[in-house]
Amino acid sequence: MFSAAAPRRGSGLGFAMPAILLLAAFFVIPVVFLLTRSVTEPQLGLQNYAALVGSSTYAKVFFNTFFVAGVVTLVTVLIAFPVAWALAIMPARWSAVVFAIILLSMWTNLLARTYAWMVLLQQTGLINRMLKAIGLIDQPLQLTNNLVGVTIGMVYIMLPFMILPLLGVIKKIDPAILQAAALCGATKWQALTRVLVPLATPGIASGALMVFVMSLGYFVTPSLLGGTANMMLAELIAQQVQSLVNWGMGGAAAFLLLLVTLGLYAVQLRFLDRKEAA
Amino acid sequence: MKKTMIALALASGLTSAAHAQDMVFTSWGGTTQDAQAAHWAAPFTEKGGPAVVQDGPTDYGKIKAMVEAGAVTWDVVDVEYDWALQAGKAGLLEPLDFTVIDKTKLDPRFVSDFAVGSFYYSFVLGWNPANFPDASPATLADLFDTAKFPGKRTFYKWSAPGVIEAALLADGVAPDALYPLDLDRAFKKLDTIKADIIWWEGGAQSQQLLASGEAPIGFFWNGRLSALQADGMEVGISWDQNITAADALVVPKGTKNKEAAMKFIAEATSAEGQAAFAAATGYAPVNLGSADLMDPAIRATLPDAQTAVQVNADMAYWADHRDEIGNRWYAWQAQ
Repeated sequence: MFSAAAPRRGSGLGFAMPAILLLAAFFVIPVVFLLTRSVTEPQLGLQNYAALVGSSTYAKVFFNTFFVAGVVTLVTVLIAFPVAWALAIMPARWSAVVFAIILLSMWTNLLARTYAWMVLLQQTGLINRMLKAIGLIDQPLQLTNNLVGVTIGMVYIMLPFMILPLLGVIKKIDPAILQAAALCGATKWQALTRVLVPLATPGIASGALMVFVMSLGYFVTPSLLGGTANMMLAELIAQQVQSLVNWGMGGAAAFLLLLVTLGLYAVQLRFLDRKEAA
Repeated sequence: MKKTMIALALASGLTSAAHAQDMVFTSWGGTTQDAQAAHWAAPFTEKGGPAVVQDGPTDYGKIKAMVEAGAVTWDVVDVEYDWALQAGKAGLLEPLDFTVIDKTKLDPRFVSDFAVGSFYYSFVLGWNPANFPDASPATLADLFDTAKFPGKRTFYKWSAPGVIEAALLADGVAPDALYPLDLDRAFKKLDTIKADIIWWEGGAQSQQLLASGEAPIGFFWNGRLSALQADGMEVGISWDQNITAADALVVPKGTKNKEAAMKFIAEATSAEGQAAFAAATGYAPVNLGSADLMDPAIRATLPDAQTAVQVNADMAYWADHRDEIGNRWYAWQAQ
């Protein structure tokens, strides 16, 4: 209806309005409401934050959250990189199949996938029985209810989120650059660490941030595969809100998590800006 | 203003809102809710009541949010009995209309101003006989004895009546001296087996852990063990010091279907409704008239046939100390 002569200024904002309104109604307002509760329940003041910061248990839960998210991110990068590279150089027909398999796993229900891992990993599970049958172990390995279990379960879920951005970046790298590196006498290792990885850094960084932030808020998988000793912040929030109906404390924990996440995001934006400027 | 914001926050969760004339019953899902739908909701609608929409799972945070926002979409909710007592005091529930619900027929242990029992169950010691061919565990002390009965043991993960009582009984506390709960002593006892505990979050998980032998011994809802037996699995059950707890039916404050909600609870707690539900689930009826309607063979497998060796968890005590115990429980778990 508007002709091309209509003023262009602000039209971008206009297109963004539905998204902005949606975010305001379903994200910003509830967050403000939760924040309000965290400083008004049970009475006005910072008591919930004081309790969170002052307790060694909550400190441990905070530490678990970042530690688990860090381990998961690291392992995910290490696995996703070769997969993305292989996908990029594979014949198109093959890579389409592998790509479909990776995407397919994302369409399966999270709880179902986590339960499947429980059945595979537990002491009487398939993996332990197989290892025992071929004589590699005498005693079953402890693969659930600990860090190993959470890491396996979460890395599996996070892999597509790492592979996709990595693939986008790696595909844009001209294979001739690697040939050039080889011609100049670079070993394969040097070509990887000095050429390929630096060029893929934006993909690694954005994928890693996404995986790290998603891991921070994960609930189902850590709770089912990690046991209570690896309790993460999301589970603490759920306990406070659903079981103890203590919204003040739950809100405070949620707000701290949000704050840290936004902080990380800001750091990454700055980091990427500098990279691009360089 | 505050209410508007909560309403907005909730709006996304209300997609399952029912038609105006229908009512909504919310429970925990699984086979329990299937039985509630079949044996309470279906007859209720058949007898001329409104259609009952099933929703779930029960979420105390949601109930509180609905009541505070004045936008209650759950008319009757199955909750834990101790939470019901606490929530009644906190003003989150409608007082029940005992001109509609006949409380004279109900087990007085499970009747209060804001809640009546939905069903009651026992936590019982269960084990997988394949893992203990030589000797069978018999007492709660055996459940905590990793020398005599080695292996992982599984316990209910959430803070609720049951596990703390079991730890104290296993440590030698007399059943009539359980309350007030000596939490220090209970956690000290639990500490002795903490490394061997696998927590179960829901009934299905507890069954899987036991059946696979992942946790060959544990503390279970009795109905879940009956279900395994019904499936043909060999399961050891000891009723010695079985600890009873109950679910309750409550009506969140401010529901628009209050009248229908009361009638639904009357149907659910009727002798027939309770008998049919008990036969389907293995949990005990709260209606004193149900026993006469039931097959004696089934009755013998229910907690109400085990009152001689039964310990009743004190719901009123739990209602008063729920937050305090819960905070300590979760902190202890995370340590």
